Amino acid sequence: MNVTQHPDTAWLLDYATGALSRNFELVLGAHLMACAHCRSELRAAERLGAALMMAGSAERPHLAPQRVLEAEASPSPWVTARALSAGDTDALDLQTVVSQYLDCGLGALPWRNAGRGLQIARLRSEEDERLWLVKAAPGTVLPRHSHSGSELTLVLKGAFFSGQTIYAAGDIEDANECVDHQPVVTRESECLCLAVTEGPLRFRSWLPRIAQSYLGI
Amino acid sequence: MLNQLMTNDIIPPVETAAVVPFPAEATRLAEVEPTVRETELLLKIRDARDRGAFADLFGRFAPKIKGYLQRTGLNAEDAENVLQDIMIAVWNKARLFDPLRASARTWIYSLARNRLIDLKRAEQREYAALERYAGETAGDAVYEEDLLARAMGQNSVALLSLIPPEQARVLLMAYVEGKSHREIARELKLPIGTVKSRARLAFQRIRGILEKNA
Repeated sequence: MNVTQHPDTAWLLDYATGALSRNFELVLGAHLMACAHCRSELRAAERLGAALMMAGSAERPHLAPQRVLEAEASPSPWVTARALSAGDTDALDLQTVVSQYLDCGLGALPWRNAGRGLQIARLRSEEDERLWLVKAAPGTVLPRHSHSGSELTLVLKGAFFSGQTIYAAGDIEDANECVDHQPVVTRESECLCLAVTEGPLRFRSWLPRIAQSYLGI
Repeated sequence: MLNQLMTNDIIPPVETAAVVPFPAEATRLAEVEPTVRETELLLKIRDARDRGAFADLFGRFAPKIKGYLQRTGLNAEDAENVLQDIMIAVWNKARLFDPLRASARTWIYSLARNRLIDLKRAEQREYAALERYAGETAGDAVYEEDLLARAMGQNSVALLSLIPPEQARVLLMAYVEGKSHREIARELKLPIGTVKSRARLAFQRIRGILEKNA
């Protein structure tokens, strides 16, 4: 898989230190599956975490190693696999990504029309974060918008332009309140994206602003 | 001609002194050997369920992990419980360790970090990072080495003193206080782009140093 657009290094540091929310972790995790470059960055960030842990001050534990070995028969504490043990297939298998997080097919999602050629389905809504699937027909021009926080958009299928840059399957567009963009889907095929946003979007024109409250974007 | 080039009097002796850029390099180099030893121990646990190797590894890691857990905001009692979970996971999950992917210390750090995230989410509870560090890094107080020393220990100071103070502060808040780049921007009242570029520059510099010694 030829991934060319990556999230900023700061996101990988957040991933390495465990500072991400579930939704941002999910989108970055899917990108990491497809992107050897970011996996290597992440491992370096984890090496730094390990180096700082080992260089840091120590606290004498009361626990003895024998106690741990005696507890061998007891079940392991649950630890979610992340990063180092995450799959690194260099492919973004849409079915894997979707079925890992959804208990239904794409068709069964609560899609809503959000303009000509554009459908969105809200997967999660937690505090000020929203996780979306966005589906757009070939050639769709999305309304120009900015953000009130961070936005990561992972392309699952197809491609879109944002400014001079093309984002294809596996790529991430890393946007925030300083970015004002108008994604345009390429003419070749439908585009499907997984996006996480922080806070409401900010639209330039009045028409999407009216739709905004209805769609909850 | 080639033979002639190979002789010592034509090729000048390689200058070694000039290529060591940082005084702290020497202390970092001293850590290469333990890293290799730790990985050997973890492999013995993985392949032979070697209890002696586990006791040795425990001695090297448990105090450091407990220190790390307390720095992230756990009290001593919680840290002790989480430490136990982590050490059981090291023993039980050793079969998943792959030395080609990570050294033992990186693998164990990731395990500890993952356990912390799981707990944080399961309990819907924010482990507030140690208030005294948070308070001191939040204000306008200039970065001071002794703040770092208290937070992290002298060896970390050696590592982080290789980068400009404003960059070191971002890494400190990320790795010690577990804050995201957005939270750091909010707390330091800096534009998000500034924090991102500081984090990136700091990370690239330190990464270079770690990799040279890995």
